[in-house]
Amino acid sequence: MTTSLPSGPPLGTRAAELVCRFDRPPTSRTQVALTRVRFCVWCLLGTLGLVASVSHSDADDLTADLTLNLPENVSEILQQRCASCHGGAEPAAGLDLAALPNLLDRPAVRASWVRIHDRVGAGEMPPDGLPMPTSERELLQRYLAPRLRSADAAAIQNEGRGTFRRLTREEFENNLRTLLQLPHLDVRDMLPPDRVKHQCNRVAAALDLSRIQLEAYLDAAEAALRQAVASALTAPPVATRRLRATEMFQDAGTFGGREAMFYAKNSQMLPLTAADLARLRKADDHDPDIELAIFRSASWPYYGYPNGFTAPISGLYRLCFSARSVRQVRDFRLRVGQGTVPLTFRARQASGPDVSGDVRATGGILDITPAVSTFETTVLLKQGETFEYSLLGLPVPRPINPVNAPLYYDFPPMPEDGHAGIAFQWLEIEGPLPPSQWPPPSHRVLFGDLGIRAAQHGSLPIELVAAEPAADAGRLLRRFLARAQRQPLDESEIGLYETLVGDELRAGTPLAEALLAGYAAFLCSPKYLYLHPPRPSAERPLDQHYAVAQRLSHFLGSSPPDAQLLSRAAAGQLLQDDVLTAETERLLALPENRRFVDNFTDYWLGLRHLRRDTVDQRLYPEYRFDDYLIESLGHETRGYFHTLLRENLPVRTLVQSKFVVLNDRLARHYELAPVKGSRMRTVRLPNNSVRGGLLTQGAVLKVTADGRTTSPVHRGVWVIDRLLGTPPPPPPPSVPAVSPDLRGSASLRDQLTAHLADARCAVCHARFDPLGVLLENFDVMGAWRTRYRSLAKGEEVTGIDRAGHAYRYYVSESVDPQAKLLDGTQLRDIRELQRHLANDDRQLARNLLQRWTLYATGIHPRFSERPVVDAMLDASQPERYRTRDLLHALIQSRMFLGTRERR
Amino acid sequence: MSELPANGPFPSVPRRALLRAAGVAIALPFLEAEGNCLGRLGEASTSAKRLLLISNNLGVIPTSFFPSETGPAYTLSPYLEQLGDYRDQFTVFSGLSHLSCAGGHSTENCFLTGAKHPTSSGFRNTISLDQYASRYLGPSTRYRNLNLGINIDKANRSLSWTQDGTLLPVEDSPSRLFRKLFVQGSRQQVAAQLTRLARRGSILDTIGTSARRLQGALGRVDRSRLDQYFSSIRQLEQRLHQAGEWQERPKPTPQQAEPEDISEAARLFDKCQQMLEMAVLALQTDSTRIVTLMIDAFATPAFEISMGEKSTMGYHSLSHHGLRQDYLSQLGKADRRQMQLLSGVLQACAAAPVGEGSLLDATMILYGSNMGDANTHDNSNLPVLLAGGGLRHGSHLVFDSQHNTPLSNLYLTMLQHMGIATERFGPSTGTLDSLR
Repeated sequence: MTTSLPSGPPLGTRAAELVCRFDRPPTSRTQVALTRVRFCVWCLLGTLGLVASVSHSDADDLTADLTLNLPENVSEILQQRCASCHGGAEPAAGLDLAALPNLLDRPAVRASWVRIHDRVGAGEMPPDGLPMPTSERELLQRYLAPRLRSADAAAIQNEGRGTFRRLTREEFENNLRTLLQLPHLDVRDMLPPDRVKHQCNRVAAALDLSRIQLEAYLDAAEAALRQAVASALTAPPVATRRLRATEMFQDAGTFGGREAMFYAKNSQMLPLTAADLARLRKADDHDPDIELAIFRSASWPYYGYPNGFTAPISGLYRLCFSARSVRQVRDFRLRVGQGTVPLTFRARQASGPDVSGDVRATGGILDITPAVSTFETTVLLKQGETFEYSLLGLPVPRPINPVNAPLYYDFPPMPEDGHAGIAFQWLEIEGPLPPSQWPPPSHRVLFGDLGIRAAQHGSLPIELVAAEPAADAGRLLRRFLARAQRQPLDESEIGLYETLVGDELRAGTPLAEALLAGYAAFLCSPKYLYLHPPRPSAERPLDQHYAVAQRLSHFLGSSPPDAQLLSRAAAGQLLQDDVLTAETERLLALPENRRFVDNFTDYWLGLRHLRRDTVDQRLYPEYRFDDYLIESLGHETRGYFHTLLRENLPVRTLVQSKFVVLNDRLARHYELAPVKGSRMRTVRLPNNSVRGGLLTQGAVLKVTADGRTTSPVHRGVWVIDRLLGTPPPPPPPSVPAVSPDLRGSASLRDQLTAHLADARCAVCHARFDPLGVLLENFDVMGAWRTRYRSLAKGEEVTGIDRAGHAYRYYVSESVDPQAKLLDGTQLRDIRELQRHLANDDRQLARNLLQRWTLYATGIHPRFSERPVVDAMLDASQPERYRTRDLLHALIQSRMFLGTRERR
Repeated sequence: MSELPANGPFPSVPRRALLRAAGVAIALPFLEAEGNCLGRLGEASTSAKRLLLISNNLGVIPTSFFPSETGPAYTLSPYLEQLGDYRDQFTVFSGLSHLSCAGGHSTENCFLTGAKHPTSSGFRNTISLDQYASRYLGPSTRYRNLNLGINIDKANRSLSWTQDGTLLPVEDSPSRLFRKLFVQGSRQQVAAQLTRLARRGSILDTIGTSARRLQGALGRVDRSRLDQYFSSIRQLEQRLHQAGEWQERPKPTPQQAEPEDISEAARLFDKCQQMLEMAVLALQTDSTRIVTLMIDAFATPAFEISMGEKSTMGYHSLSHHGLRQDYLSQLGKADRRQMQLLSGVLQACAAAPVGEGSLLDATMILYGSNMGDANTHDNSNLPVLLAGGGLRHGSHLVFDSQHNTPLSNLYLTMLQHMGIATERFGPSTGTLDSLR
């Protein structure tokens, strides 16, 4: 590893990419094409679907004619104000008003008229200050809105409000985990990643199915089913091994030399050589008073895993060990630690110092205390894997490249109070932990209580003992389908799988394999692979209840409905307010709800990109190899969002709060009063703190930076897009992106000033640049700063970082976070920005509701549903839009339930 | 095939290897002449695009590899001189790497994937270039791809990784590979494979029927969504059919004897030569269109640099030369030797006709490494060279050495050149258009 590695693309590239990626609500192909057509057009696109709709006093009128017969006064407005651009040989944006059909039952036509309605309503059209009196705007809207609404409502009535959607790969895996009772099943990554639209991975229209995906789903289903089958006639033997300290490390040393790791007795280093170790390991003559002391983090290259242990089969292993936190002082002496040192384990191949295959933290974080204690945890290992000791937040040795000698790794200079570390006394490994019974529960899901014997034929490890294979097959198949189905299957559907299994049996396939073929087919059938939207049905009224149950469980837990939810559906109770509320509350309290928090924030806030950019180690040496910090940042923001929901806090809490969620590392990072331990907890903020709300959280500040510099453009766009739901249109193709200037930040400011000077830029940039400027006090990792860092000018700062590297950077000009917003409001700093955004809580709530609608139902609120959203906002306004109230309101709405009678 | 050099496809080869290679030299014309016995050899002589992807996980000495001038008029670097005859048939790249893929030797499994941060918690490898391509190409050849290795730590290293980041183990025995390519499998093996394919076919039938029943109950919009499902089924069925045909079709049967495996790791270059011969043969007979080969220099102990000269230490120790002259001179010879082997591959491919042109026109041959400079464990500015495939070659393409261009951009270009309609591969940000 060297210092000159690029840590991410330059900001310029990133900004350009980002801006071009902003998705807008559904657009037609013509609209996409229009962005290329004419410059004036792109700046007018935009807030479609996000504009508060005009008064909805006109009742939805389903009987309305679906043909627009424009009265004279309306068509005159269009003719006068619009047709000069939107007509002729080359109509602007490809919209030729004269040729626009007026039959509103066609979705594309409806979408065009909706766009006209919205653009004009928002004052975006006519563009560039061309005149249109307010009276004309209102007239046009008053005419269009009710007609569009009825046409849209009629379309929903006839075709439903959205299509069915494919399960995402996470959902598919969770469905199989639940069904097969394999909580650690790992097939997600066998499936191609799902397409993301509008920062959501559950958009029905984006979840396509290709040959490659169908094949991958079949492969994943088969792999999961095979994993569910008993691996042998009896449970794999459970072994317990107790390792002394001298067996706990692969080698006699590691990279970084003695300072990085040594064996010790009576708190003094023992200079054991590889030969010494080999000798005492061979003789099994271990001194129980010897400790293994480690002072470095598990980053490459490292040997920190037990000697001679790899998992004989995949499964859970219990680890029990004795350890204490220590400090290493001069001459390799140990002193009692000054606090706890966090430790986790990393599952990986026993591939020596180099890493091969997956690397997965497992077993949670344990805080090792200064007093010797016994710790216990459970780790998940794949066959052949071992686990390495991952001490969090400690140094990593630095590579040294001398001339005329090989590269080696040196340890950082010792801090005054010594290197923190952990000394281990012994470690016990027990496993693989056996299932509760044998054959395991997963096997019984497939084959019930049929006996097993060693396989003579086929490709499974066991064979079923069946007196009447055909009868058993029929019985087991029905039993399996009854568990797997998320709503009752027709007899004729069951018949399909009976035929498949029957044919296999007749062809001589062993019973177990024949059944698996039938099971795999069902798991990839459209009934299982897709979620079907709820719709009222006279012939099959319960279908709607089952569809609601599935939608609810996948929304709040990314998993299939459980028995209670299904029984509510079977009883036809799920459309009752009280039952639905109770079920929602129940699901929110289940552990599976974590998946909602994780998945939703991964996409909405971009937390899945938390590790995308490596921080520039020259500018920010303090973050080098600080995986613990990054991990903690992710926990913070997820925990914060979860707290909002759990405590039903007002939506303004998204941007302003009197508390933070943090642990020991984050308290340091945020310069707050120290707390002990790795556990995330809620802490009250001091008055006048700059923290509070998503915009002050390191995770958000990191994913909106690029590891090298912060971009007010990027962060400002993030605010109006992710938080306010009003994304800007893409920039015109010819505009160069802002490139980073590592020698100072002056040129960045110049470019921002230029944005506002150029009217073509200002039309959008004035909306978001100022918001980003107000966040300039936060560096690329979210720490507070008052001056910029630079690699070339300013006051020199030098030192040795936590990984032992010498660094030199410069502190240059002061941060000036003041900014004037588009509406003229002058804000001075983050505290004023928090207040400003908190005042816009109706828009924060609208954005959250729309994102949840998309996430839960696969499509945005439709035109005729805008009044529904407004009504929900009105209803929750008195309590300042409390978040869980909003969630309930959505679930009770006709968008979620598919029932027109609902509000 | 008559243009094949009289001394076999690979020049400058030790004597004992030549003797073995002679078998191939005779066998290739035989294959061509006896086309009919291959079943539809029309396919075997296709000019469809192929991939040969080679990596040495310790790389080469960068200063001797990269030319100093840019563009088509560059002067061949000392290493590239070995490939001088084919100057117009390859492109050499500077300033490419996998961004955020650092961690010294731990990056070796990411050379064809570009996965980020291979040493960090939560790391999981992703799909490699060969697997990505083979997923699209499907069973149009007997083997979707061949994944080969030399001196390789099979449990931990491979260029080929699945979508879910599972290591695909290499084949490191030329004789086993020969049997796989040219010796018919047992009746039982074939039957078992056919049963498996038939079962997948029945499953597709069943879910197709299930979808058809559902279709009746759906509205217009839903029905069009379901069309995706039907066309996926149809395409998979076609592929099963193709795969089944391959099972029943006889393999090409060269008269060449099975190669004899070399067990000594020290004979690194003899092993490379043998394996490369097999790779070329596999591509020429259209047994596969995708071959990956990892030369595990890291796991190679002291080795024969040339006839009669053995390195003074293992390849890895040698790679940390620290600018010591004796290390550098040994490494330099080893690096040149690899370039000569590569030249041999180009020569053999150029001389082998397939379809309208040569195997070289049909095959994109990539040589590179995950190590930009093994001496300093640097994973940027990777040595990369691409030959053949009918691309526009002859130039030294230079990208920013401080802010590298993603190597995946080259991979995406290669995928598109194979006719695979994709806009992204791994962390790619675009294509290298001057190649096409």
